[in-house]
Amino acid sequence: MIDQVNEKPETTLKAIDWNFYYGTNHALHDISMDIPRRQVTAFIGPSGCGKSTFLRCINRMNDLIDGVRAEGSLLLDGQELNSNDIDVIALRRRVGMVFQKSNPFPKSIYENVIYGLRIAGVNNKSILDDTVERCLRKAALWEEVKDRLNHSALQLSGGQMQRLCIARCIAVNPDVILMDEPCSALDPLATSRVEDLIAELKQDYTIIIVTHNMQQAARVSDLTAFFYMGKLIEMDLTQKLFTNPGVKQTEDYITGRFG
Amino acid sequence: MAIHLMRETDKLKKMVLSLAAHVEENVRNAVRAVTERDQALAYRTIETDHLIDIAEVDVEEECLKILALHQPVAHDLRYIVAMLKINRDLERIGDLAVSMAERAIQMVTKPKPHTTFDLGAMCDRCEKMVARSLDAMINRDADLARKLWLAEDDEIDKMMAEAFQKVEMEIRQHPEHTEPLMNILSVARSLERIADHATNIAKDTIYMVEGEIVRHRKRKIREKMAAENIS
Amino acid sequence: MTHNSINGKAKPVGEKWVWLTSMGLAVGILMVVTLLGLIIRNGLAVFWPKPVIRIELQEDSRFAMRGTNVLGGMIAGTRDKIVQSVESQTGRQKQYEQEWHIMLGNKDVYGSSFRYIDLDAAVSVSRPPRAIMVERMEYGNAIGIPQSLELADGTTINANDPHFDIKLRSLVENVRKRRAKIREIERIQIGAINHELQQLRIKEQATRRQADASALSEIIDGINAKRSELTAQYEVLAGRAAELRKLQMADRFHFQLFTGEFHSFPVGNMVHIHYPNAMSFGDKIRHFSHGLWAFVSQEPREANMEGGIFPAIFGTFVMTLLMSIAVTPFGVLAAIYLREYAKQGFFVRMVRISVNNLAGVPSIVFGVFGLGFFVYFVGGSIDSLFFKDVLPTPTFGTGGILWASLALALMTVPVVIVATEESLAAVPRGVREGSLALGASKWQTIARCVLPASAPGILTGLVLAMARGAGEVAPLMLVGVVKLAPSLPIDHIYPYVHLDQKFMHLGFHIFDLGFQSPDSDAAQPMVFATTLFLILLVVLLNLGAIIVRERLRRRYATGAF
Repeated sequence: MIDQVNEKPETTLKAIDWNFYYGTNHALHDISMDIPRRQVTAFIGPSGCGKSTFLRCINRMNDLIDGVRAEGSLLLDGQELNSNDIDVIALRRRVGMVFQKSNPFPKSIYENVIYGLRIAGVNNKSILDDTVERCLRKAALWEEVKDRLNHSALQLSGGQMQRLCIARCIAVNPDVILMDEPCSALDPLATSRVEDLIAELKQDYTIIIVTHNMQQAARVSDLTAFFYMGKLIEMDLTQKLFTNPGVKQTEDYITGRFG
Repeated sequence: MAIHLMRETDKLKKMVLSLAAHVEENVRNAVRAVTERDQALAYRTIETDHLIDIAEVDVEEECLKILALHQPVAHDLRYIVAMLKINRDLERIGDLAVSMAERAIQMVTKPKPHTTFDLGAMCDRCEKMVARSLDAMINRDADLARKLWLAEDDEIDKMMAEAFQKVEMEIRQHPEHTEPLMNILSVARSLERIADHATNIAKDTIYMVEGEIVRHRKRKIREKMAAENIS
Repeated sequence: MTHNSINGKAKPVGEKWVWLTSMGLAVGILMVVTLLGLIIRNGLAVFWPKPVIRIELQEDSRFAMRGTNVLGGMIAGTRDKIVQSVESQTGRQKQYEQEWHIMLGNKDVYGSSFRYIDLDAAVSVSRPPRAIMVERMEYGNAIGIPQSLELADGTTINANDPHFDIKLRSLVENVRKRRAKIREIERIQIGAINHELQQLRIKEQATRRQADASALSEIIDGINAKRSELTAQYEVLAGRAAELRKLQMADRFHFQLFTGEFHSFPVGNMVHIHYPNAMSFGDKIRHFSHGLWAFVSQEPREANMEGGIFPAIFGTFVMTLLMSIAVTPFGVLAAIYLREYAKQGFFVRMVRISVNNLAGVPSIVFGVFGLGFFVYFVGGSIDSLFFKDVLPTPTFGTGGILWASLALALMTVPVVIVATEESLAAVPRGVREGSLALGASKWQTIARCVLPASAPGILTGLVLAMARGAGEVAPLMLVGVVKLAPSLPIDHIYPYVHLDQKFMHLGFHIFDLGFQSPDSDAAQPMVFATTLFLILLVVLLNLGAIIVRERLRRRYATGAF
């Protein structure tokens, strides 16, 4: 056995027997896991295994789809998310999301970053200016765009757009950042910049990343969870999972001997 | 990815097997050169060592290539890493066989000294140990490897200690036989170190199969096994 | 075997379809080019000066008029007519003869101004260099040979005098300025006084209806005092106008017709003169551009057959603009609900099909609806609520530019809805999700992200709607278009925008010129010219919308993927 970190990290998100249905399609089966605070947790697994579905449960993006149903318990800092009382808008401010396809709004770079503040009714120019600089610096984009904040965000390169989306996400100061395959459309250089950024952001945010790229999961994450057919097969320290996985299915998947 | 990687690891396996066969043969020849005082065999052992050196470099290069190109994980990763280390052990075993052969050449020029230490038995045991550790590696037999590591290695260490005691005493009794006795001790020392490398191979085999690094944890594991046996 | 395809003999299968498909395109292009070519050629040819000819006819020709065999005018057109058909062994032989369509002008003398003449009947045709063509305020053009100018001070300048031409042109220029001044007095100043008088009358009626007898006389006195003051002002202005009018009549222009008579009219009647047979190419260009500008900028005269089409251009423009203002929010909001909020299902599908079918309803139906609903019901209600004082004269209860715009908006709303829905659907899901994930509500997402991204598509819909609305005539005839509107829908009189105003429209103008005009020969060139400008206006409006759309598109250009 590899020695565990002495101090067991605090759990931010806790799933207990979480089941999720698209209509009659049972998409997630009895998922139970603890996601530690200020660490990077990677979800891996083949397409359609439910990892993105689970990610979207965390900020209730699945609400947009008709006929979805959830059972079990999903606790964010002890607060039950599977409840009708929860304020979805407030939840989404606490749980930011970065998508697979970078999706900047058809606005200027400046307006993109402060979008979350604007819709919350913040219009104080100095606060907005500060936020833009702080978030763009945090997203390692400031030096590249500081002279063209009023240009359209759609003129940026793919990697810059994705970092802009990350800056936009941290502008509302979330606790958790969900990343749904954030680098799948980027070239290796842009990918590595985003990965560096993830390592930086880890100090302040709990990050959950879904990825198809196992090397990426291995590089950036502290913990890795392997999903298969809507079930959580194995979750362990990344180092352990990638050198000596405990379950045959995991081993077959990560060594490419699946099926 | 899997098929490419499998093809590469198969190739690596063949290279390591051929290297292992070579090393095993050299050890056997060196042992025979010592026990049967066969100078020609000793020379042959020395001459063929450079083939082992070349093969070692090839294996290492192959391992590095696989690491760089396929970035293996899980058992593939453990396999390549184990091969890298076993490769080094095999080469060292080859070198030790050469030094045994060199001693054998010297020993032939001198009369066979009388000693109570049974060098033949130790030769036998070490040769078997090398062969069995390689068997464990090839067959991915962690149990055999664990037995070699936990039991066999100690036996050989004991034999080495015994050789020390006996030869020391005999040198004191017959100082005129110091040189041939020192040769015997030197051979015993090489054999002991060959056994150490074979033990390393066994330990890497355990890592390769079970993913657990067992080095430096002999006592702990013994206690654990004992506890398991009791329960 | 496999090499067959590259040795040149084997032909790829199905390549003949290229021809069939390209034929479709070719027919389309041919139709467009022919249509535009015809309209542009005929429309612009109206303004290009044509020579004036003098024709000497054979003795006793049936074309002779007014007892002489000489006549003259401008060639309006030539054509071949079938004189007779002869049965022969080879079949029916047809004989053709060229026929000239001559514009005689001088309607005040001749009565009619056009005449067909067989070329065979002419003995000689000449182009007298001194022939003058005078565009007049009344009775159409005058064509003839200038004789003299009889000035107000009694002197006469003979046409042979070298100063004659310069004098005549300066007089025409003076006349033009004076006419503008008269117009200014009558239209704007007197118009303002009339407007005030009208307001007074309404006020008086209202007071008589409401106030009690004691206060009544006092208020009426005030009103009467104000009225007499205004009337005095009016008298002064009217006097000034009459004076100017008299000045217009002071000088007389004498000329001889080709048929021999001598004739004269006041210079005040002249609008523009030119000598068609003595023009250099540069003169012709100048005449052409002057005619074009006058056509665009002036008001129509003489049952729309003369003058310009400015009120019609302006009316069409304002109506299309009003229609766009009405149709855009309506269509966009409806489309947003249909696409973003409504639960997709049978009902929404039915609504969508109905909306699409609404686009296929004949436009006259919308005219009838507009008349029944907007004019009689809504307009009538507005009148009885807010304009009681002027009843029974309707204000909104009759056709007007607002109702016309609304009827057309109703007609074009399906186009906008369909285009908006398409462009909303084309906004990537990622943008919506990105916004929602940042804690935006659905409406915030639509207003801040989806609509800006779909603006170019919405404008495309608007372009289509405008193209359809601007060219529509039939419904307008029921809801407010008129042959001749007394004033423009937007002018200098408070409240500047008169939504109840009847207006002129290019499409209706074309119909009016083509079918309702007393002299269809004279109106025919105007039909082409007006059509040209209708097309130009539609193109310009669309171009405007397209430029806006391209600018938006550049601003919100979709990313690299």
